[in-house]
Amino acid sequence: MATPKTVTPGDPGRLVMALVYLRTMAVFIVVWAIIARWTANTALLPTPLAVIEAFIDLARDLELFQHAGISFGRMLLSVAIASALAIPLGLAMGLSRKLDAFVDPTIEVLRPISGIAWIPLALFIFGIGNALPVFIMTYTAFFPIVLGTVAGVRDVDRRLIDAARTMGVPRRTIVTRIVVPAALPSLLVALRLGVASSWTAVVAAELIGAPSGLGYAVEWYRELLMTPQVMAFIAMIGILGYACDRTVRTLAVRFTPWAVEMRPST
Amino acid sequence: MNAVSQAAVSRLAGKAESRAWPWRGLLLPLVLLAVWQAWGTAAGSVRTPMPTRVLMAAVDLVGSGDLPWGIAQSLGRVFLGFTVAALIAIPLGLAMGSSRAIERNVDPLVESFRPIAAIAILPLAILWLGTGTAAAVMIVAYAAFFPIAINTIAGTKRIDPTLLRAAATMGLGRLATLRTVVVPGALPAIGVGLRIGMGVAWTAIVAAELAVGAKAGGGGSGGIGQMMFVFYAYSIELNRIVVCMIAVGLVALALDRLLRAGMRGLMPWAAP
Repeated sequence: MATPKTVTPGDPGRLVMALVYLRTMAVFIVVWAIIARWTANTALLPTPLAVIEAFIDLARDLELFQHAGISFGRMLLSVAIASALAIPLGLAMGLSRKLDAFVDPTIEVLRPISGIAWIPLALFIFGIGNALPVFIMTYTAFFPIVLGTVAGVRDVDRRLIDAARTMGVPRRTIVTRIVVPAALPSLLVALRLGVASSWTAVVAAELIGAPSGLGYAVEWYRELLMTPQVMAFIAMIGILGYACDRTVRTLAVRFTPWAVEMRPST
Repeated sequence: MNAVSQAAVSRLAGKAESRAWPWRGLLLPLVLLAVWQAWGTAAGSVRTPMPTRVLMAAVDLVGSGDLPWGIAQSLGRVFLGFTVAALIAIPLGLAMGSSRAIERNVDPLVESFRPIAAIAILPLAILWLGTGTAAAVMIVAYAAFFPIAINTIAGTKRIDPTLLRAAATMGLGRLATLRTVVVPGALPAIGVGLRIGMGVAWTAIVAAELAVGAKAGGGGSGGIGQMMFVFYAYSIELNRIVVCMIAVGLVALALDRLLRAGMRGLMPWAAP
């Protein structure tokens, strides 16, 4: 309620937008249905109806939610671990040039090696199981979070810190009362990037090296050539990915209402 | 790894402060390498990866031409998929950015597919296109499409409306306005989109080749991801896997630098 909304004149209402959305999706589904009828091969391209049926069946069996829950849990755990490591490190690096010069080159050397490239080695170290996807996702989420935190701390208005220092505020209080709140918006953007990239990695990690989760389920049903189920799980990946992004965005608005949407999403 | 590096940081941060800064940056990687080497020596197994063995494996792989060839194959797929993505995403992005009606109607589709990771549609790509280059190109194109399209839309929308009105006042047609006002104005954003798209594309190709290797029984189509999988599953050469990982990182870095430099050359006014 308290969040200010900017409505430009001439902006269509929510209802109209929803109708336009539905219309576009309806066109998409009709085109898909026609192509599916035309190919007439359920293994290759099932009809939308078959996919919806598969989705409902899988949801009723709870299979859909089991795999989704597993993947989601892994993602939460990974982001939590990554944040616990990256946020303090990022704060420290942002505050101390010396520490930054010390650690930053190592981060920049590791960063271009995508989490996915770690999969074969990690398969070897952890084997197939829970640890592998969690490791890959933690690694993937770590970099955006640490770099976003550093950038956020750097962007803190120097005058605020100087003013506090003039007034004799101790260093610790400066950090907790000025630096952290001021860096919070970009920290949340970083968190959002971390969540998004780790969600991308979960699918890859599970596809190759986990005995459960959405990525595993997609691959399992592909091998059985049960394409409607494959598509249902792919849809679930999209839905959850979208929901995660929305949640972090809502959190950002709730916690940092003063920072209007910081950057265009990339 | 992270725990180790953090412990090393807190231990060494004090000592490092007195040195000149370029050394400080090198210190942590060197310490980590030394720890790794020591650990590898202590572990004693012949297969355990350690820096000296990785170096030897790198010389081997580069010398035999396997690694350059694998990278070339992967890069070929990336460029192909990336070109397809750019050819679809840039015109679409320009159209969506300059017309509210088009944007409103197409945006639901883009936003619905965007949260679906490229790797997630890999099983479909394999189903439709087999385990060869075509499937990999499809994944790359899908992955690169979204950052390019979204940045193009944003860049097109951010064009100063005064310029558009001025063009209209001077009687410029839609196409001429597009060519002389919209495209140059959106170019920096398009460049950012291309750069992000290239990074995503490279990650996607490694994932796609790895997964194809894992799921299609190794045979297959080559590329650096595939090489890594073969080293993992068949010949169990961890040192070579590490060499491939480093190569993946170096190529990612090189692609990024190349695009940055290209953008700076093309549009010096908007260099990041």
